[in-house]
Amino acid sequence: MKKANINLIVNGKEYKITVEPDERLLDTLRDRLHLTGVKEGCSIGECGACTVILDGKAVNSCMVYSFQIDGSEVLTVEGLETNGKLDPLQEAFIDHQAVQCGFCTPGMLMSAKALLKENPYPERTEIKTAIEGNLCRCTGYQQIVEAIESVVKNKD
Amino acid sequence: MIEFEALKANSLDEALDVLVEKKDKVKMVSGGTDMLVQIHHESEDLKGMNFLLDISSIPGLGGIEDKGKYMKLGALCTHNEIIDSQLVNEKLQILQQAAQVIGSTQIRNRGTVGGNINNASPAADLVTALIALEASVVLQSKHEKRELSLSEFVTGPYCTDRNEDEIMTEVKVPYIQGEYFENYQKVKRRQAVAIARINLAVITKIKNNRFDDIRVVFGSATPTAMRFRDIEKKINGTELAEINYEKLAQKTGQEMIGFTGERWSTPYKKPVVGNLLKRALRNIVKEVQ
Repeated sequence: MKKANINLIVNGKEYKITVEPDERLLDTLRDRLHLTGVKEGCSIGECGACTVILDGKAVNSCMVYSFQIDGSEVLTVEGLETNGKLDPLQEAFIDHQAVQCGFCTPGMLMSAKALLKENPYPERTEIKTAIEGNLCRCTGYQQIVEAIESVVKNKD
Repeated sequence: MIEFEALKANSLDEALDVLVEKKDKVKMVSGGTDMLVQIHHESEDLKGMNFLLDISSIPGLGGIEDKGKYMKLGALCTHNEIIDSQLVNEKLQILQQAAQVIGSTQIRNRGTVGGNINNASPAADLVTALIALEASVVLQSKHEKRELSLSEFVTGPYCTDRNEDEIMTEVKVPYIQGEYFENYQKVKRRQAVAIARINLAVITKIKNNRFDDIRVVFGSATPTAMRFRDIEKKINGTELAEINYEKLAQKTGQEMIGFTGERWSTPYKKPVVGNLLKRALRNIVKEVQ
């Protein structure tokens, strides 16, 4: 196939999209659906800025071709907010000043979201493992880990 | 830029037909954690690739199964599936230790056993452990199915024995029976998303307080991950308390040079392979006592 027709559910909305063979999920999200919260950093799976949740799992959207994932469900940072209300993780990032330049933030949030979906009460080490594939060039890891921890604690 | 046509196989037969038809013009992809990087870097190895065949949706190629004497890992089984598997945790913990140090959560969610093996990087984390476990691989072509040991399958750095019409369907990992102990070590530049400078898998039986049937496999120290048989011979039969760590460490470095000759990395790798073996053996001795 020169181009592929795929169905995707992105942030709860259904899309029928025609994609190029070498179009990555990252490109589809940013360039076709204008979900620019998904960031392109290294393009080789090292920085995690492009992290989205694909069928329940955190993945680097720079390492998936869109033609591979027909019928899948994708959640991006834009889909975290519900009815105009930020996700508790987003609130916590603001409260803990876990954002400096903000470039890594969407990826960090999605890695954290995927973790909490699978494991609502993670230990600190599990939080660190969940975000080990997300680089923060501002090096604000402490605040990021604390923000995620606070969401876990506030569940009680 | 590498231009290619995308193909998607919905069954093994469909994929095998494509391989027969397109021959060396087609490459396969599933998790994509190596392939998309190679395409991004316009790797020389992809010269002549006109088609990219996605095999990630082929039914029956994934999963982990208990087959009595061995564990079957489907080629499309991901690293995180290995980590989360109760069966692996109970029976082949060293596989879990190896899978845990691969890449990052995102990479472990996508990367597959088959991909890790077929990419054939000398630093592949799973391969070191799988060779120590004496794993074999199953390859399927249109008319034939064959099985060979993983050490035979990986023939050189980024080279395998796979014919262009074959797909790896499964990896068979024999269970280790009885009093075996395992230890996995990895040296890397940083904690996560790091390719191994050196990795090491040690599996050994402890019989009457002595090492027996020890398997010492280094990755990234030699052109392909392989067993260090001379060192194994020296350790087998030795009583736990009588291990001469310093001497073994030295001999390990020498055995590596026997395979590789003196290379630019030798001044670093020679002491490190020795130290890693010491660390692994000490951990095992501690665990036994």
